[in-house]
Amino acid sequence: MFRAIWDNIKGIYSLLVGMAVTWDFFFSPRYTIHYPRKVVERENLENYRGPLELTRGKKEQDQTRCISCQLCVKACPGHCLKVTKGKESKSPESWLYDFSLCCLCGACVEVCPTGALAFSHKVYMVTTTREALILDLLKDLKERVAETPLLVEAPDSTASQEPSAAVVKEA
Amino acid sequence: MDLSLITFVQILVAVIAIICLMVANAVVMVYVERKVAGFIQRRPGPYEVGPWGTIQAICDSMKLLAKQIFVPANVDLVLFFLAPVLAFFPVLLLFLPIPFGPYLTPWKTPDGLVLILAFAGFGVLSNLLAGWASNNKYGVLGAARAVSQSIAYEIPLMLALMAVVFQAGSLNLSVIVEKQGWVPWEWNIVTQPLAFFIYLICLVAETNRAPFDLPEAESELTAGFHTEYSGMGFALFFLSEYANMLLVSFICATFFLGGYKGPIIDGFWWTIIKAYAVMVFIVWIRWTFPRVRFDQLLNINWKWLLPLGLLNLWITAIIIKVVN
Repeated sequence: MFRAIWDNIKGIYSLLVGMAVTWDFFFSPRYTIHYPRKVVERENLENYRGPLELTRGKKEQDQTRCISCQLCVKACPGHCLKVTKGKESKSPESWLYDFSLCCLCGACVEVCPTGALAFSHKVYMVTTTREALILDLLKDLKERVAETPLLVEAPDSTASQEPSAAVVKEA
Repeated sequence: MDLSLITFVQILVAVIAIICLMVANAVVMVYVERKVAGFIQRRPGPYEVGPWGTIQAICDSMKLLAKQIFVPANVDLVLFFLAPVLAFFPVLLLFLPIPFGPYLTPWKTPDGLVLILAFAGFGVLSNLLAGWASNNKYGVLGAARAVSQSIAYEIPLMLALMAVVFQAGSLNLSVIVEKQGWVPWEWNIVTQPLAFFIYLICLVAETNRAPFDLPEAESELTAGFHTEYSGMGFALFFLSEYANMLLVSFICATFFLGGYKGPIIDGFWWTIIKAYAVMVFIVWIRWTFPRVRFDQLLNINWKWLLPLGLLNLWITAIIIKVVN
């Protein structure tokens, strides 16, 4: 009887402790970043799975590693990839990716024998049409190459896949 | 009882004002509740619609008004549509005897508490009808829980209020407020701390709010008794939940926190400030504690609150007898 009463008093004390915790949280700063209006920090995007992108070659950093083997096309459950082999070499002529069908499952990234695919960290992608979601990944790669011809630092997209790609041999 | 024309007009005006108060209260409390929930979970809460999300609640209610009222197969049509109305309208009556200010009492009746306690059971009746009529297993389970919870918690609630009534010697709510002073240590919360504690627990249980929201436990019963309601049917249940919350907060302010009395000038503003402080406290409790299990819920009541309430009443009666 007395023990039960004592237990209840202790229980009520634990309730007060819980209320103190929420009281503290109420007056603590918020964690939320108001995303489209404020810039999301890079470290918060490390494990974010954005639309696919082609990684750069180990030696030729302006080239893709893709050998047009079509394994990713077969692995994709949403049929969102379309890879056309080039006429002279194994490297692809066009690399179309329909982001509107993609479920970001990562089957293509896993199946790729050369590590040519990776998830990007793009969070500022907005469009009003379906056509704009069909992405030309070769064009995207070219743009990135034009921006940074040589990888001095390890960019996140390749660092997670192939750390060796980041090592640059100074000529 | 003679109901003269003036009394009739007075009550009519009061009822219209109370309907406005209930609807405005629901809109404000939805916003306050979501903001407090957000802040406690360290996120901003509604933010996008209007400045700091202030128009969010109005947008939500517009959406509810425009929504289709879906009627599932094999429901009891009469009861199905009667239940939300029954949930909403009896609450109006319960606001009538509450003294909002020294001169602002909708209906100064000598038996105000009897009226409140008599009609308080109506909310549960509507929950039972809603659960039963909607031909849904979750609905029936929620209704059964609502009934047994309400039967359990109305007794200690009554005992807690009776202790205050013993002390004031009247069932008239205006008299109960008049007997309290304007400084906090002259309020009934000081003379009746145990009754206040019991009332505080019963108040959360009576309004079916977390941690005692067993009748609509989302994780167990989807939405309990109002699973099958959509559109305005759901909105009426929602309104009545917040109206009930407002009612118990006003009763708490009247019985334990000195009602309209306060420093500087007595007036309805003190009642409203105190009632909303209790409301924010209820919201705070909701976002702090997890839901209790049903056997725990009934154990708290029958094993602790009821004996404590009886003991409190007994001690109060003895002290009053000795002092007089």
